[in-house]
This record gives sequence, C-alpha cells and structure tokens, in this order.
Amino acid sequence: MKNIRNKVATLKTKISILAVCALFVPIGCTDLEEEVFSEVTESSFVPSESDIVSVMASAYTPMRYVMGWQGWFDLQEEPADMFITPTRPNGWDDGGTYKRMHFHEWSSTQWQPRNTWINCFNGINSANRVILQIESEQLPVSAEQATSIISEMRALRALYYSMLVDSHGNVPIIASYGDDLPVQSSREEVYNFIVNELTEVIPSLTETVDTSTYGRMTKWAAYHVLARVYLNSEVYAGTTNWDKVIDACNEIIDSGAFQLSESYSDIFSTDNESNSELVFAIPYDQIFAGQWNAHMKMLLPDHRLVFGMQAQPWGGSSCNPQFIDSYSPTDKRLSDTWLMGDQLSASDGSVVMTLVKEMPSIYDCDFTDGFRCGKYEIEPGATGGLSVDFPFLRYTDVLMMKAEALLRTGSSDEAAAIVTQVRARSFDDLADATVTGAELEGDTTVQYGTLAEDGTIADAGDQATVPYGRFLDELGWEFAGEARRRTDLIRFGVYQTKSWYNHTPKGDYTTIFPIGLEELNTNSNLSQNPGY
Amino acid sequence: MIKLLPKILWGPNCLTKRTLLSSLCFLIVQVALAQQEVSGTITDQQGIPISGATVMEKNTTNGVVSDFDGNYTMTTTKADAMLVFSYLGFKTTEIPANSSTVNVVLQEDLEQLSEVVVIGYGTQKRADVTSSVATVKSEDFVQGNVKDAAQLIQGKVAGLSVSAPSGDPTEGTQISLRGTSSILGGTNPLVLVDGVPGSLNTVAPEDIASIDVLKDGSATAIYGTRGTNGVIIITTKKGSNDMKSTIEYNGYMSISSIANRLNFLNADELRQKFDEGYTFNGANLEDFGSNTDWVDEITRDAYSQVHNLIFRGGNATSNMTASLNYRDLEGIFLKSNSEKYTARVSGNHAMFDNRLKANVGIILSEQMYNALGDGTSFNPYIYRQAVIRNPTEPVRDVDGNWYERDVYFYDNPVGYIEETIGENKLRNTRLDFSLSYDFGDHVTLKGLYTRKGESNIRGFYQTKNHVSTTKNGQEGYASRGTDDYVGNYGQFTLDYDNTFGKHKVTGLVGYNYEDNTNEGFYATNRRFPTDGFTYNNLGSGQGLQLGEAGMGSYKNSDKLIAFFSRVTYNYDDRYLLMASIRREGSSRFGEDNKWGNFPGISLGWRIDQESFAEDWDWLSNLKLRTGFGVTGINAGANYQALSGLTYGSYFLNNGQWVRELVPSRNANPDLRWEKKEEFNVGLDFGILDGRINGSIDYYNRTTKDALFNYSVPTPPYFFGTIAANVAEIKNTGLEFLLNVTPVQTENFNWTANLTYSTNTNEIVSLSNDAFQLTNDFFDQGYTGEPIQISTHRVQEGQPIGNFFGLKSVDITNDGIWIIERPDGSLVPATEATTDDRQVLGNGLPKAYYSWNNTLSYKNWDLMVNLRGALDYQILNFSRMFYENPTVSYNTLDSAYDLVYGKTELQDVQRFVSYYVEDGDFLKIDNITLGYTLPKDAIKFAETFRIYASGLNLATITDYKGIDPEVNREGLAPGNDERDKYPSITTFSLGINFTF
Repeated sequence: MKNIRNKVATLKTKISILAVCALFVPIGCTDLEEEVFSEVTESSFVPSESDIVSVMASAYTPMRYVMGWQGWFDLQEEPADMFITPTRPNGWDDGGTYKRMHFHEWSSTQWQPRNTWINCFNGINSANRVILQIESEQLPVSAEQATSIISEMRALRALYYSMLVDSHGNVPIIASYGDDLPVQSSREEVYNFIVNELTEVIPSLTETVDTSTYGRMTKWAAYHVLARVYLNSEVYAGTTNWDKVIDACNEIIDSGAFQLSESYSDIFSTDNESNSELVFAIPYDQIFAGQWNAHMKMLLPDHRLVFGMQAQPWGGSSCNPQFIDSYSPTDKRLSDTWLMGDQLSASDGSVVMTLVKEMPSIYDCDFTDGFRCGKYEIEPGATGGLSVDFPFLRYTDVLMMKAEALLRTGSSDEAAAIVTQVRARSFDDLADATVTGAELEGDTTVQYGTLAEDGTIADAGDQATVPYGRFLDELGWEFAGEARRRTDLIRFGVYQTKSWYNHTPKGDYTTIFPIGLEELNTNSNLSQNPGY
Repeated sequence: MIKLLPKILWGPNCLTKRTLLSSLCFLIVQVALAQQEVSGTITDQQGIPISGATVMEKNTTNGVVSDFDGNYTMTTTKADAMLVFSYLGFKTTEIPANSSTVNVVLQEDLEQLSEVVVIGYGTQKRADVTSSVATVKSEDFVQGNVKDAAQLIQGKVAGLSVSAPSGDPTEGTQISLRGTSSILGGTNPLVLVDGVPGSLNTVAPEDIASIDVLKDGSATAIYGTRGTNGVIIITTKKGSNDMKSTIEYNGYMSISSIANRLNFLNADELRQKFDEGYTFNGANLEDFGSNTDWVDEITRDAYSQVHNLIFRGGNATSNMTASLNYRDLEGIFLKSNSEKYTARVSGNHAMFDNRLKANVGIILSEQMYNALGDGTSFNPYIYRQAVIRNPTEPVRDVDGNWYERDVYFYDNPVGYIEETIGENKLRNTRLDFSLSYDFGDHVTLKGLYTRKGESNIRGFYQTKNHVSTTKNGQEGYASRGTDDYVGNYGQFTLDYDNTFGKHKVTGLVGYNYEDNTNEGFYATNRRFPTDGFTYNNLGSGQGLQLGEAGMGSYKNSDKLIAFFSRVTYNYDDRYLLMASIRREGSSRFGEDNKWGNFPGISLGWRIDQESFAEDWDWLSNLKLRTGFGVTGINAGANYQALSGLTYGSYFLNNGQWVRELVPSRNANPDLRWEKKEEFNVGLDFGILDGRINGSIDYYNRTTKDALFNYSVPTPPYFFGTIAANVAEIKNTGLEFLLNVTPVQTENFNWTANLTYSTNTNEIVSLSNDAFQLTNDFFDQGYTGEPIQISTHRVQEGQPIGNFFGLKSVDITNDGIWIIERPDGSLVPATEATTDDRQVLGNGLPKAYYSWNNTLSYKNWDLMVNLRGALDYQILNFSRMFYENPTVSYNTLDSAYDLVYGKTELQDVQRFVSYYVEDGDFLKIDNITLGYTLPKDAIKFAETFRIYASGLNLATITDYKGIDPEVNREGLAPGNDERDKYPSITTFSLGINFTF
C-alpha cells in the first residue's frame, strides 16, 4: 500500500515536471537570425534583368534636387543678382539663410551648398556602384550593354562633377565604389578629370534622341557638359579653351538632333518633354517625381487663386528691380519670365493682388513686393510638385556658348548673328531683336550698386566696365531663373566685384562655397576651401 | 491588557465591545490552566479585520492563520504561552495568552522591514535588499484622474521623474530615472506587469496593488536588456487562498480644464491697437467686426468618469481575481477623448499538497478615441491656429460657411475640428499561463508563457468643407490604416533556497525567450463623390485613378533570448550579498555581436544587527549597501546591422516611370549592445521605532558604446549616417528619501515623505576608434519655420540638453536685438552669424524634490503632495513666435511691452536668449480629502470611502508659459513647442467600497 502511494506520488511529480517543461519545448532555442519581410537586404538580393534600369535609376534621381528645397536653383540664384528672398510678413528670415546667401556671408553649415554636395556625391556614389556591379558581373547584362551602361554612368558622373567643380571646386575625385576615405583633389584636377572622362566615353555613348534616351546622358548631352566646363575653364583651371567650346558645340549643332524652339514659353511648359531644344532634361512629375517646389518658394499664397492651384505657395523669392529695369520694353521674355502687376483670379478674372516691382529692403518687404518668376507653367490644379521637366541643358545654351566663345575670340559679328537668331523669337519686330558685335562687346546695361529703400542707388560701388557685359545681359534675359546665373556672373567677373540690391562684394574666395561642416567632420582628408 | 484597550475602542461598535471586554477581563483572572484554548480577532488600526495573519505560539511550531473575518482559534501547548502575531506590512506583535480571548490590533510597520519587495524574477524581504529598490503601495498612490501607472507614483520615488506635459487624454506620462543615459535609447524604463513586459497602460491604475522601482544597475542587471532606464514592476491586485469573496468598487467623476491660458490679444485689445495706429499684415490685417475667443471656441470643461470593479475570492486550493475597468475620458478640446474598457481575470489553482501551482490569466482591453491627427489623437496644429487667429474674425461667414482667409498657414480651428472625422480603435490581449512545482526540498521549478497581441484600426476623413478642399482642392480626403502586433514571451526558472544555521542562501537559474512581430497596412484616397461615406468607402474616391492615392504596408520582427542566474547570501542577518548575471542575445545586432553579458553584484551590512549596536535603542535600522551592475540597451530599430535595399523614388525610363533600387541603410556588422555600468552606494536608516526612516543613495553611471546615428562621409558610405556604438555618457546623482511620522496619536496621524534627487549629466565622448568627429558636437532640436534653426547642441564635455543660440543682452533704438558674442563684443542681430551662438541654458532639471503628506483624523484622510524641479531652462516657443508686434498673426499681449525697458521689438522672429526662461517650479500637485464611513453607518459594505481630489492644482513659478513641465525627452529637452496640447487641472469626486 505504501509502495503504491509512493508510486502515485512519484508519478504526480513526474507529470508535474513534464507539464512545466512542456511549456518550453516550443521556445527553447537560441536562434537569433533576423527575419526580413518588407525590406530587401543587399546580401540576399539577386538582381534580374528588369532590375538593371532600377539600379541605374538611382544614379539619376539625385538630379531632381536641382529644383527642390534649397537645391541647385537656390545655390545658383540666391547669391546672384536676380533672385532675392527678403523677410516678409509671413517670415522668410529662416535663421538668416537667404540673407547670408545674398550677402555672400555663408558658413560651413549653409544648407544650399551642403545639398549640392550631398546630392551630387549621392549620384556619383550610385554611378560608381552600378559600374562596380557590372564589372563584377553582379548584374545580368551582355558585354555590349555593359559598355554602354558604364559609359553612360561615367558621363553622368562627369555631369555631377561639373556641378561640384563649380560649387565647391576642391572636391574628392571618386572613380570607384569602395571603402577608402576619399582624398581631396584640386579644382584643376577635378576639371581635368571631367574633361578626360567625357572625352573617353563620348564615342561609346548613344546618338539616339527620342523617348528612350529622354532624361539620359547621350553623346550630345556629354558634348554639352564638355562645352560648359571648357567655357568656364579659366575659372576652374586658369586656362581658356574657347576653340574647344566651339568644337563641342558644333558637334551638337551639326548632329541636327536639336532645334531652337519656336516659342520661348513652350520650353517651360508642363508638356515640354517633346520640345526640340532639350539636350538633357530632368523629368519631374506631380505624381511620380514631385521634388520641384521652387515655384512654391516664389509664388504668393494667393497665386493659388490666380492659377487654380491645389496648393498654397509660400511667397518668398522675387526679382531684384535692378534686373527688371535692364530689359528692353519690347523683349517678350520680360513678361514670359516674370509675373508683374495685377494678378487675376482664374475663376472670375477679378484682381486678386497687384505685384509691384519695388522691394524696399531684404529686411522688410511686403507680400506683394517684387515680381515673381512665372516662367515655368503652373497648370490648373498644380500642387507643391510641378510637372515641368527642367531644361538643364538646352539647345539655345549650345548656341550661346558658341556665340560667347566666338565673341571672346574676336568673331563678334558671327556671335551677334547667333544672338540675334536666339532673340528673334522673343521680339515682334526683327529690328528690335538684332544686335551687333560691337554692342555685345560693350558694358552691361544693369545698373549695379546697392539700393536704398526708395529704389534709388545708395552706393554705386565698383562701376568699372564689364567686358562683354552686354553678352552677360543676354544670358540673363534668356536664362533667367534657370539655375545658372551665379556661374555666368563669376565668369564675367561681376560676382566678385559689383554691388546689387543690399549686396556688396566680399572677395574672390566667395566664388566657391565652403565645404560643409558635417563633411569636414566625417572625413579628415578634407581641408576647408581657402578664405573660410 | 490595559494597553490594548484604547486600540480596541478605536473600532466601530465600541460600546458593545467595551461591555464584552469588561466581562472578559473579569474572566482572565480566573484562568490559569496548562493547556488553553485561545481565540480572538486580529484587526488593523482602522478596525478592518486582517485575514491570513499568522498566529504562532512562541518557540513552538504550533500556529494557525486567521480567517476571512480576522478570527482565529488555537490551542496552546502550555499555560501562559506567548503568542506571536504577524502579517505582511505590519509589526510583529507578541502578546501573552493569559486569557481565552486575545484580540489584537496590528500596527503598520512604518519601516516595512518585513515587507516583501519584488525584485527581478522573485521577491526579497525589505531588510535583505542590497540594491536601490523603491516600493509604493496602493494606499500611497496619487489619487484622482491619473493618466497611467506612472502618475500613481509621481513624486514618491527619489530619482524617478514623472511628468505629464500633455493634457491629451490618450497621452501618458514622461518618465526618466536617474537622468538621460542613452542618446537613442530614450529614458523609458522596462515595465513589467506581473512579471511580463508590458506598458504603463496594460492594466488600469485602479487595478494595481503596488509598484516597485528597481533603480540601480545591480538590481536591474538581471533584466540585462532594457534595464538601463530602470525597471518598473507593477503588481496587480490579487486574491489569495482562503479568502472571503469580495467585490471592490472604485470610481470617480472628474472635470478638467486648461491649466493656464496664454494672453493673446482679444478683439477689444486688437481694436485698441488699431486705434493706437498699429498696422499689421496677414491675420490682423483689419477689423473683421466680430468678437471671437478662439481658444474658447475649441475648448470645453471636460467631464470624465472611471469605474473599476474587482472580484476576489478563494478556497483552500484555488482563488481568482477578476476586474472590470471603464474609463471614459474627455479632453479639454472638442473631439478629443478616450474611451477604454479593460477586463482581467486571473485564476490560481494548487494541487498535490500545494506543490503544483497553476495560474491562468487573461487581460483584454479595447480603446476608442477621436483621431483628428490622421492616425494620432488631437492635432495640436489646431490649438496653434486658435491662439494666433484674429479675434475679430467670425467663426462662420454670413452664408454659414467657415470663415477662411488666404493667409499663410492660417486655418479656422473650429472648421478644422468640425470638418474632420477620425477614429482610432485599439485592442489589446494578453494570455498568461504559468505552472510551478515545489519539490519540497528547497527547489521550485517554474514556467511561464505569455502571448501578447495588440491591434488597431484607424479611420480619418476631411470633408469637402475642410480647408483640404476649400483651399487645396482635394474634394474630401480619407485614410485608413491598421497595425498588428503579436508577441510571445516564455520564461523558465529554477529556484533554490535553504538555511544552514546562520547562513541563508537562495539561488536562481533561468531562461527567457521573447519575440515580437509587427505588421501593418494603410491607404489614402481623395476626390470622393460625397461626404456620406467618410472613410468607410475608400474605393469610391477618384484620387486613385489620378495618382493621388497612397498606400503602404510593412512587416518586421525581432527576438530576444537570455539565460540568467542569481544567488543571494545572508549571514546572520548582518552580511548580505546578491550577485547575478544575465547573458542576453538580440537579433537586432551584428552577426558576431548578438550576445552580451550583464553582471550585477551588491553587498549589504545591517549595522543595527551587530552586537555593538545592541544598546542603541533609538536605532531601529541601519544598513549600508553598495552595488555595481551592467545593463544594456537594445538597438532601437530592427535590421540596423544589415545593409538594406529599397525600391525608392521614380525614374523616367523610355516614357515609363519605374522605381529606382537604392541602398536604404549602411550595414554595420559591428553593431553591438550599448552598455551602462553603474555603481551605487546607499544607506538605509530608521530611528525612534521607525518614526523617522529613509535612505540616501549615490550613483555613478557610465554608458559606454552608446548607440548613435553617426555621421559618416558619403562616399565611401552610401548614407550620411550609420548606427554605431560611439558615445560615452556619464550620470551622477544623489537621492534622499525621508519618511517621518511627526504625529501619531489615537485619532490623528500625520506622515510625511520627502524626496530630493540631483542629477549631473555629461557627454564624455562622441567618438571611438572607428568613428571620429572632427568637431566634437552636433546640433539638435528645431524651431520650425520661419525661424528655422536648431535649438540645442550636443557636445563632448557638456551635459545633454544645452540650449545653443544667440545671447540677447539689449535692443537698439530701432528695436533690433543686440547680441553678445562669445568673445563679449556686441553686435546687432542682423549682423550676428551662426558662429556667434553660445550655450544659453539647459533644459533638464538638476534637481527634483517632493513633499508628500498623509494626514488622518478619525475617519478623515487628507493627502497633500507638493513637487518641484530646480535649476533648468525652458525655451518658450509661444513667446519666441508671438511676443513680437511684427508678425503676421495675432500676438501675445506682451508683444507690445518694452524690451529691456527700452523700446518695442521691431526685429524678425529670432531664437535669442530672451525667450530662454528659468523653469524652476513648485507644484501643489495633488490634494485628496477622503472620508471613510464608520462601520456601523453602513450595512451593505465592509468599507466605504468617499473622496475629492484635485490634480495639478497650482504652480508657483516664474515661467511665463502654460506649464513649466514641458517635454524632457530626447536630445532637445525643454522646448515648449507652439503646437501643443496644454496641460490640465482636474478635480475628481470618487468612492471606494468593498462588500
């Protein structure tokens, strides 16, 4: 009996222990592998043929920062003589960022140059990564495809470097995807790298200009970039290359692939992708690629009613009255580029507001002070992301680069013929459009000097003649608001010497931006640009 | 006997009892037999019977336990035996059994040396605790409309700061223990609800019996991961065996209102400004003819009600607890509320001579609240719109439409609320199952499994009369979303305890497993044919076809696995030791760094037990303790060690938009545990029979390998940041706790509890060998537009929370700030650069203090809690943005005051030191007055108490904003943002009864 009781007791114990232990059977492991569901990890990813475009795409998409918040547009226009972002009743002091841009008093934490650095190197990094993936046969491509993709990526990389050589000058040249901490190169080395790369890859780039190459680096886009760096080679490397500018431009002109657009405003329309001028466009789309918000910064909140927009713009930047005053009254580009005077309601035609030219001071402007850039079409229902494709490289620029090189090498009449050809579409009367070589060699027509609050010149500052200043004006009128004025002003020596609006010259060192604090912080191989 | 008399008389029915007693006294004299039957009743000081109290005959094993009504009967082995009465939380009392009836009133143990403290995976007697552990029992909880479990112990635990910066009824408290020890890990402690990780909202506050806070590293090391910010252990109210069945009700109604209003111009004041010749742009452009108090339009007196029922009971082998809780809370803003139901059932079952014990528990809750923030509760942007709106504008125009104007970021707040429909519904489930078996030879095996689930579904709609349509043409905007969480938690422990003469030993080994899986989905659409569907018919909108719809989904999971062990050793109740180690692995870390070891050791010396202290009668407790422990912080997000690819934004390829494939994260296979090492030394003391007792603690914690999203160069890296173990942070502090009972008489009792704690924080380093910062700082915090600048700087050698900006010292005649540069020179703000910034203060208090008083007089009880913080600053955003006559919105009255007594401000909005204010405050935080009905006044209930309570009653401070208790989390603490949900003052009226 006792025995049985003991057995029962033992059995009870065993059952109990089993029951307790059973709790742990399903969980008794030490496996800590991460289970991944809604992400792709690099180690587990095997790209298929359809992924090739997606992989390449990552090298192009950073270009869209150009018309984005504090992007390339701000970098090129805010420190120049057209666009001013003053304090307005709804703010826009923004910690003084726009004033620092206007006064050329930026520091290494200024966001516009940092964004350029970050996005260009993001594109360069991606291009290098694609090249590595092809060279290491991680992407399933044919040998022929491989050559063409690598050439395209190298050309695109050169395009990013053409922006960096202009903005920061002394940047690291990174030609492969790897772990090494990049080493800084001189501006001249960067310039030579761009020239060599483009020269090398041009023969293997596509000559096709159609939907399949839209927004991509073709042979002609590469020539265009090459011409641009040659045009500025004196600034970048201390040597002029005017003949090489003409040669590169002629390659594009002779291809017959592009024509001047008959209508100036068509170049900037929502549906500009079929425009005959576009050598290289950055495609934007309200739905798929909505980074373009430069228009939100320029238009007023009430432009919502004027254009029937779905968004309420922020109303910051407007045009320096000194530049407006330089236009010929018959030049249709004045009204094609700037929103002026009464702004009419899209629904009933009533006057919503009236824009005035005058902008009293960068410290204090009213909402309606200053003309706004209306060059890029605002279609009804437009949102915070515009659908216009940005004409980063356009045929008129090819002609004007050639004209400038001719002008500077003594063929001013040939240059004048080209400029007249460009002007013709923007004047009702050809006589008004016609310019002479002598005119182009002359001084700028912009009245430089700082402005008093009443709009009169307060301090004229440097009034020395600007060589080929009138040609610089032509560039201004044609390319106003196309994110390039800073580069042009530097090449013509205006940026470093003249005063405008509330700006006074600060010195040659301002022609390149300081390297960002964060970049210096993280890469001990970098040293700050001189003067900062 | 005489001594006992007054205490017996304390109880109700005293007259009859006294008569009875007199006759008993008479009997005592005659009784002197060898064996004796003794019976009696055991009660507490309030006369409430104590069931389950132990009655032992001294120096024998003869003993019994009191029944439901506190009655006991036992037979002593000899005449004049000494009876020892003991019960948890009460002083053990010895009374000679010289009568056949011995009634006893047990005195509460003020020092609670015998109280059981919940430590990780077990309990310990208070006297044996060698680390820094605080316990707060339900009778000491803050009463009234508390937000969550943490507010119950607000100001009660030295070193634990609990604040409620938001009045949003769906928002909880902010907690920090012993400072900020982590950059990315936050300050949230690990919360265990009955031993299983949960949250401060897992169970209703009314359902909580006690809260234990493990403060120092030697105590929390057993929880390795997530032990860094301390561990809060919530123990729910439980039934016990042989317990009378009871129902306990606790409920209250409360009314809340905004704690403080900012003084913006009202309509008359604005008109006066117009008359004085002021002109404004934007909002205050002109007089629109109405008188509207916009804040009044969106606020209300908020009524809330909370009801809690607890059912308890048990027989010799089984017991159960069930509770129901209903909280219907209104926020002070329209359409701001929270309605929550929680039910909990816990059943305990014992078999085989109580050796096998099983517990099955279920917690279910359901919550609904208005979600005007598209997935979040109230949208604080609406509050900003109410304060900055022109008070002369009407709410509606003559046609009955919302009165709207095209001013930058300017929307009618009433329309915003009324034209938005949003609801979030949450469901929470938890199933616990545990089994333990006591082998009888000092060994207990225990297993526990918990399944947790949490899901929500959200709906949001902005009608065609909302500004999203009237200004932005969306024609109705709807969104829906849902998230689902499932977690498994398992634990397996083997306990050992034994006594060998003067040596007491306990041991524990265990295994812990936890996995968590999260997944979710959302979709948005616009252009609806009618408002009638709201968010219930997403497909009817045309936005999908027009490319204006959005959607997304995700899923991720992680695991934590640990082995742990602990031993405690007690020699002669004089020398104490506790040592533990936990080896824990997290799936979030790099391949070779998944596992970390977290040891902890602490020692204690009970000086009062030494022979030399025998004669120190005034001393009732003196214990010196010291400890060292290592704890960890898990990586904040999943997959950070792995490189990731993502299909990102679109690219136009041959006329088609295709997605790019880009890396989304830099891989860091070296990613490993962030570890905090903490040294603690403390002294517990008690004198005058415990009427004065307390403790002092000093801690020194160093966080090494702190995780930080470190900036790296791009290239070679793909991303500008990488999650890496780079920083080192140091926190030191002192904590004082003093409990005093200044008055303790028959009718009147006053106990006071004082805490004071300090914290000094320093970022020792932000670099390691692999990652070097050229500059030793980075900036954090953001003003928002239009000021657009960072507010804080995190710098090596400096504490976390430093405000970094321009130091304003004067104003020019033109009303422009004059800035003092770091070198002492002065410059107008228009010429100051970002290089002229300097440290302007710090947003984290250097010290916290509290003074809690509990008074009782006869049947009345009164609790008064005062609380404060010292030596810190707040950046007052409301003043920075709206104490400026030049802005294009309505302004604070003070915008027209002369700055520095000189002139009106004419500068743009700037972040200058003028708006950095001292935050020091003293709050009369909680006053509760209660009345317990005399026993004879109620027939149906065992106890019945009514009380009135006020929360956040008054604040004494120089701070000009709404409430000096602002956000203190993260790396930009002390920013009192514009878009906020102001804190509230609440009055409650409640009843508790048990029957």
